[in-house]
Amino acid sequence: MNTIKPDEILDAKGLSCPMPLLKTKKALKGMDSGQILEVLGTDPGSKNDIPDFCKKGGNELLGMEDHPDGYTRYFIKKG
Amino acid sequence: MNSFIESLKDEITDADSAVFKKKWPSWIAGILIAILALLLFLWSAPWGIAGGYRNWGDWILYYIIPGYKQPDTTPWLNTLSLSNFGIFAGAMASAMMSRQFKLRPAPPIEYAKGIFGGILMGTGAALAGGCNVGAFYTAIGIFSMGGYAMMIGLGIGAFIGLKLLLLEMEYLPQKPAVSKTTVSDQKSFDWSLIQRIFGGLIFLAGIAAFYIYSSREQAQLGGILFFGMLIGLIMHRSRFCFVRAFREPFMTGDSEMVRAVALSLIIYGCGSAVIKWAYIQPPNMGVYHPFWIGSLIGGLIFGIGMLLAGGCASSTLWRSGEGHTKLMATLVTFSVTHSAVQTWLDASGFKEILGKGLFMPDIISWQFTMPVFILIMLSWIVIADWNEKTEKLVIF
Repeated sequence: MNTIKPDEILDAKGLSCPMPLLKTKKALKGMDSGQILEVLGTDPGSKNDIPDFCKKGGNELLGMEDHPDGYTRYFIKKG
Repeated sequence: MNSFIESLKDEITDADSAVFKKKWPSWIAGILIAILALLLFLWSAPWGIAGGYRNWGDWILYYIIPGYKQPDTTPWLNTLSLSNFGIFAGAMASAMMSRQFKLRPAPPIEYAKGIFGGILMGTGAALAGGCNVGAFYTAIGIFSMGGYAMMIGLGIGAFIGLKLLLLEMEYLPQKPAVSKTTVSDQKSFDWSLIQRIFGGLIFLAGIAAFYIYSSREQAQLGGILFFGMLIGLIMHRSRFCFVRAFREPFMTGDSEMVRAVALSLIIYGCGSAVIKWAYIQPPNMGVYHPFWIGSLIGGLIFGIGMLLAGGCASSTLWRSGEGHTKLMATLVTFSVTHSAVQTWLDASGFKEILGKGLFMPDIISWQFTMPVFILIMLSWIVIADWNEKTEKLVIF
């Protein structure tokens, strides 16, 4: 997963539901199809919300991983 | 013998992972919550949350403001306060067992939204005679007409609240929140195992509390605390969120939570019809929601508040149990505002204008109430599903 080069990074650490998802949706809106967004988040709810949102919204979740510093990284390819 | 123990161990590990690792499906949580709400109804009275907040707020204001009316019951003898304690403790235990408990700081603007959201929810709950649980979920389930007015109010409020969040993203500077190095420098200490032991101890303490209450001839109160803990566990593991049911149709179009809440309500309503129609509990029990002005306006204000706070009455409780400090702030302002506005309403006589409790079967008979109720819930699901496909209501 470390080989993925994101085009944009969204820092949503410390934010709780619904802000991480809302900001993810907004960030994706400003990007081109095929570009990759990396989201950093700490809300446990995001681990379900972001994959669900990608599945239903036609974007591809390339992967997610927990960082040792206590946040999670999500890699989303805009569909 | 060894292989028996081994396989037993695997079995326990699997069960543990199913309960505390995988997210529970929302619809299963909806069914379980309906069952517990019915048990609470049979055991004592219909379920609510804001009333417990008000009790806490009453006590806080009683100690701060000289001359403020002394509350009738202490928090550990107040039924709604006890089910709240249960939900909070159950969610905290569940979060610890799931290794998800952590005191979670938030950026300043989030605290401001949490505090203001709590004030709006406290005000809305006072006007509507309850929160998203007492004045919406329970109200519709026990056939109090105010529940439907509240539902419309919550929908409009959620729409306005989402608009406000969008404006915030547009116009307020967005800063990254917390420093990166807060967690890594305490790596030497394995908190995750101790966390699980604490979680287990909280569950055991809840069970012990039931026996203590029942030994003092207060089994009813002990039972309420215990049912509350189960609700907290279910809500945390499924991340059950009434806010989503009202927000998501405008935000992502996702209809999952609408289906879960509507399904839960259908089960709860059918059960409560059995309880009320058969006079197991009095038919008018709990029907006091001010239809329609109080419920509608209260719902609208509450709806805006729950969007800003990112939690309604119930999810504020379980998210606080998970360690979200923003929602702890919400909890305090919700409680205090609810108490203050309620005191003002009781004193001012303004209450008369808000409306009065109407029992649906009194107006259109039980025979019509049931199909109308089920039809409204099914329509909610159908509209939400249609919207998920077409995104016609999505504003962002």
